Parts: sequence; C-alpha cells; structure tokens
Amino acid sequence: MSRHLRFIARTVMVQDGNVDAAYKTLNRVLTQDGIIDTVKRKRYFEKPCRERQRKNFENCKRIYHMEMARKIAFISRTNREDPWLGC
Amino acid sequence: MINFRCILFNSVSAVCRQLVPALSATGTLSRCGSRGLPLHRTLFSSAARLQEAEATAGKDFSYFPPLPGQDSALRWGGKKFEELPIVQIKATYNNTHIQLSDSAGQSLVRTSCGTEGFKNIKKSTPIAAQTAGISAAGKATAKGVTFVRVVVKGLGPGRLSAIKGLTMGGLEVVSITDNTPVPHNGCRPRKARRM
Repeated sequence: MSRHLRFIARTVMVQDGNVDAAYKTLNRVLTQDGIIDTVKRKRYFEKPCRERQRKNFENCKRIYHMEMARKIAFISRTNREDPWLGC
Repeated sequence: MINFRCILFNSVSAVCRQLVPALSATGTLSRCGSRGLPLHRTLFSSAARLQEAEATAGKDFSYFPPLPGQDSALRWGGKKFEELPIVQIKATYNNTHIQLSDSAGQSLVRTSCGTEGFKNIKKSTPIAAQTAGISAAGKATAKGVTFVRVVVKGLGPGRLSAIKGLTMGGLEVVSITDNTPVPHNGCRPRKARRM
C-alpha cells in the first residue's frame, strides 16, 4: 500500500512526556523542509501564470534579504583592529 | 547618551570588582539579588548541578526513532517500538478523526468530532478534537493500551489538540509522525477560491 517504510521520515520521538516540545520540533523540521508550505499551496490549484509570478517574486525577495543581511553584517563590524594603524 | 554609557560602565566595573575578590578570597561565589541580599552558593554545589544536567542530557536521547533493523534497548511497557499500537489522527479542515489500531493493523478504537456529538462548524474546532482525543484515550485504556505512537495526517485545526487530548486522557505518546499526503503533482486540486 505505502511505497515507503513507515515511521522513518518525518518522525520525532517524545522526550520525558513533553509532547509540546516534540510537536514544536516536528513543526520546525517540516517548515524548514518546506512541507507545510507545499501542503498549504496545493490545497487549491495554482495556475501556471500565477506560479511563475510567485517564483519570480520569491526570487527577488530572497536576493533583497540576502543583500540586506550582508549590508547589516558589514556595517555592524565595530570591534576590529585599527585598519589605519601606523598611518 | 554619554552619561548613560558612563553610568553603565561604572556599574559593570563595580560589579566585577565585587565578584573578583569574592572568588579569589574564599572560593565561594556570592551573587547579589535584586534586593541587594547576597546569595551564597558554593562553587562545588554549582559544579555538581552542572554535572547532573550534563549526565541527564547525554542520556542517549535521539529525536530519530529506533529503526526496525537496529537493535535498540528502548522498550515501552515491555514492547519494542515496532510493536506499539498506532493512533492515526486525520486532521481535515472540517473535522478530526482519531483511530487507534495495534501494530498489525487491527482497529481497536475509532472516534471523531462527530461521534462526540458536535455538529457542522463545531467539529472543525480544536476543542472538539481535544474531546475526541480524551474519549479515544479513555476507550483505549479500557482495552489495556498505555504507550502509543501517533501519526498525524493533514493540516487542520485539531492537529495539536487531538494529541493533547490523548495525553490528557491518560495515554503516553512515544513518538509523533507526520504523514500528510504531499502529491508530486498528481491529481489537480479544485480551483482557487475568490472571496
């Protein structure tokens, strides 16, 4: 019936009866793997033109965020050795 | 701005000057509480507490389940992981179904929000899922089930509260698996809603 072995993928063990923490871990793993996103998106059909627009938008957003993070990391390098020492 | 930084620096240096002689002189760590009362704790007891924490944390707990091929020493109620009964929770957007079956696949308990007396929109609430979980756990303990593995399917409102209901009803959850069906572009879903 199922083509994959069960209880291997997408499984989280519960430590000391802490079900909430285990569910949070599972949720985090699923979000990082993009499964929650995919399931929400596939609930209704997404037309190919809308899909291309969304992919383009996500690409642009990713580039913007990476560049902004680089800029912030560059600007916040305050404690470093004096680059103009000896001048 | 500059005055604030000066004050902070002075206070931090004052605290450091307080701590350093205390450490070096007597070997005890004295920490001043917020009301100014000194709390004396010996270095030895804090070190012992740290060791305890490390020992319990490094107790070979892994988030991965024991695979059928491996020989792991973990047992729950004398049963191996593969022999524990399975609770399948199907959390749709309108309802939540809970079915308990043993490891072979024989169904033991079946409850849902509808069987608990909820109707229509009240079935698609987390409270209804919790009630269903509690009743399922009650019926399961009557049949002698204690430890259970949970398989969740679907992203509905009752996804977490059904598991909560199971624990509230007295069952011990050992692991949580997510079996939400993800098509690799199979059947075409219904058209997008325009609201």
